[in-house]
Amino acid sequence: MKESPEIAAEFSFEKEKLIAKSFSQRFQWEMILIGLGQAALWLSLWPLVLNGLLDLWVGFFIASLCACFAYLPSHEAQHGNYSRGNPKLRWLDGLVGHITLITLKFPYHILRITHMKHHAYTNDPERDPDYANAHNTSVLKVIKNVLDGSTVQFDKYLEVFQNDKAFVNSFHQAIPIALFYKAAPLVMVIIFPFETLLLWWLPAKIGSVYTTVFFSYYPHLGTTTGRYQNTRFWSHWMPRFFNHSMQLHFIHHLHPGIGHYDEPKAVEALKPFLVARKVPGADKIPDRVTLNPLINT
Amino acid sequence: MLVEKFLNHISNWGKLWFGLIFLGSIFNEILEKFNILSGSSYAWGLAFGLGALIGLTAKIRGAWL
Repeated sequence: MKESPEIAAEFSFEKEKLIAKSFSQRFQWEMILIGLGQAALWLSLWPLVLNGLLDLWVGFFIASLCACFAYLPSHEAQHGNYSRGNPKLRWLDGLVGHITLITLKFPYHILRITHMKHHAYTNDPERDPDYANAHNTSVLKVIKNVLDGSTVQFDKYLEVFQNDKAFVNSFHQAIPIALFYKAAPLVMVIIFPFETLLLWWLPAKIGSVYTTVFFSYYPHLGTTTGRYQNTRFWSHWMPRFFNHSMQLHFIHHLHPGIGHYDEPKAVEALKPFLVARKVPGADKIPDRVTLNPLINT
Repeated sequence: MLVEKFLNHISNWGKLWFGLIFLGSIFNEILEKFNILSGSSYAWGLAFGLGALIGLTAKIRGAWL
């Protein structure tokens, strides 16, 4: 990476990378537990509700919570943060990535390739698949678009990246699963109408809204292009554990290999680097990332 | 190719199918649960017809909301 002459040698990219690497080694067992756990819990709701052992509305509440926890474990898998470059563990990325997304009804392969493009072209209006979310004019419009399904423009990006063979192959690989997620609720709703609505369809919508608003809209709101400018640190009234600490999303964009639960420590260690690079909101990062809200602005 | 034709059909008419099958089933269940038009043969047609109509409207508008 070409270094700006304004950056002192002590804050060089090489040194930043070295620190980031020290937070990118740990096995992400918590995320595997959350991913597989929420999917198992969600699946168990069906026999419990259908046999009258659990009230449908309680099931709806639990299923909605599961849906809100469903994306992040898949996101770690998309970055290969379970296998960490070990080919013998790559199956773990696929396993967690696929299973956890059952609740949200999204095919893992499509989310993986579009997310890689989001990292490569963050805030590029033509090539960033998350651009429409992050650059919408209000959170209500984002919510409306997610409920409407119009934020999912996979066809458009298949055209944009038609010359990228790996992208096209992964896209085609995802089609059977995408069709399954379209067909399964249509079959199930005939047999179990309210259960399909309240245990799967509506929770998946709620989870998608939650994920889009906190993972895509707020972290990129008002940002531009460039490694140190395309994401921001931000504050929110909600305790940070309720929004999956997405106030720290910046550090993920900088070094995607850092495990989600290691991000607070990485932010503390890298704070001087981020301030030197004039990262939006970095000067307001507390020296110790402990309490909520994360950053008081 | 058959798969491609199927995907095109889903892409073009997915909203209508969703309205007819998904929303129709939900409306039908609501009518049954609350005993609205119970025993009437119109209930089934009304529920699935309304679902299909909403789906068709969404298809024409190009958006649900």
